[in-house]
Amino acid sequence: MRKTRLLAAAMACGISLSLLSAPALAQEKTGVKAGFVMPAGGTRIVLMRPSVRVGAQSTGGLFEPNADWTAQARENLDAAIRKAQGQLGHQVTPYEDGTGAADSLSNQYRGLFTSLADSVREFQFFPGNRLPTKKRKDSFEWTIGPEAKNLPGLENADYVLFITTEDHYGSAGRKALQIFAALGGVGITSGVHLGYAGLVDVRTGELVWLNADQQMGGDVRTTEGAEKRVSQLLEGFPGSTIRSASAQ
Amino acid sequence: MKPITLIIAAALAAAPAYAGNSLIPAGRTVQVAKSAMAVTPGSEWNKLGRRPGTNGEIWTLDGDKLNRVTFYGGIAQDTTLFREVDRKNSPLPRFSQTMLLTDVPKLLENSYRVALGSALFTIDQMEPARFGGVDGIRFTYSFVAGNQEVQSKGEARAAIVKGRLYMISYEAPALHFFEKNVAQFRQIADSATF
Repeated sequence: MRKTRLLAAAMACGISLSLLSAPALAQEKTGVKAGFVMPAGGTRIVLMRPSVRVGAQSTGGLFEPNADWTAQARENLDAAIRKAQGQLGHQVTPYEDGTGAADSLSNQYRGLFTSLADSVREFQFFPGNRLPTKKRKDSFEWTIGPEAKNLPGLENADYVLFITTEDHYGSAGRKALQIFAALGGVGITSGVHLGYAGLVDVRTGELVWLNADQQMGGDVRTTEGAEKRVSQLLEGFPGSTIRSASAQ
Repeated sequence: MKPITLIIAAALAAAPAYAGNSLIPAGRTVQVAKSAMAVTPGSEWNKLGRRPGTNGEIWTLDGDKLNRVTFYGGIAQDTTLFREVDRKNSPLPRFSQTMLLTDVPKLLENSYRVALGSALFTIDQMEPARFGGVDGIRFTYSFVAGNQEVQSKGEARAAIVKGRLYMISYEAPALHFFEKNVAQFRQIADSATF
């Protein structure tokens, strides 16, 4: 009897959650700063080394990093980006990481970009969750700060392109929980496949274009999957000729 | 934990709290964190719909990973600063009325080490400072959250009033964001009353 009541409660809980969250979860995936137009020809873009994390998702949903998967994914993504680079339609140069303080600073900016993109995804791309002070302006105003132009290596650049991927592959336990939960009417996701690609104006630090999604396609641990991920990350890149991942 | 309970707990944990961010207007005195603490911000802020705990409240301008003011409104004896993450395996430290003001930075540090998986946390400075009209403490700190690469800085004011801990903290990435809004935080902290 008690188990029946608990199951009924779980089902009610699941249904309520899905109903409550449905409108707010209408997620946007791309943002462009109002009035931004990529200058034609001769634009110099520096590509930062992508921030890549790959691991497993435990039954309880915790991230468990996997160094081998991360190394494999980095190799695959680097190759896929090199392949796609020529289609971006601009002069793209990989950022040359320095040593010591300069390397530390570029790592900090990679981290700052990820935090910025997290905020855009949470507070801009979910219209139901916008911040009142930003909602009123109804615009896309995000920045990593004008100090970014002081990062060594960006002296001759017009824009800097940041890429972040983070994949949590659902463990067997997590997948089993997902199936069991679905039987009870509760929606639980298995796996996180987050990807951000963002273009920043070096002179102002303003984010002028962002693609962001928490459930991207492509298994980054494989060559083909990494290529699919990169095409999805760079889909709609201003001035590019990259085909959309969905069209492939 | 029984499987059915686990499902409900996991579903609730996974359900994003996407409603209820509200505007805090400039110049109006507001009570915060469901407590006796009140502040009068000199500029507009956004109050997040989600709370860090029963006696907590978060304000931000660009998202709480970019600038975050946290109000701790009267943390009582034997309670935590914010909601437990994994009470069974990694319980959060609890506030005790026997603590001195100089123990408060360590309480925050130890709470962050558990909740954020923050191995890198440093108390940079602490000094006596009036807070809400009573004797309190001001301290600064630096940390890197376990799942992030970015170095953040923090500044806080705290006081213990009638056996309860009141605190306001400000945290932001060291690059650009901390300096951008720290003056607005200090103005809020200066305006606090109990």
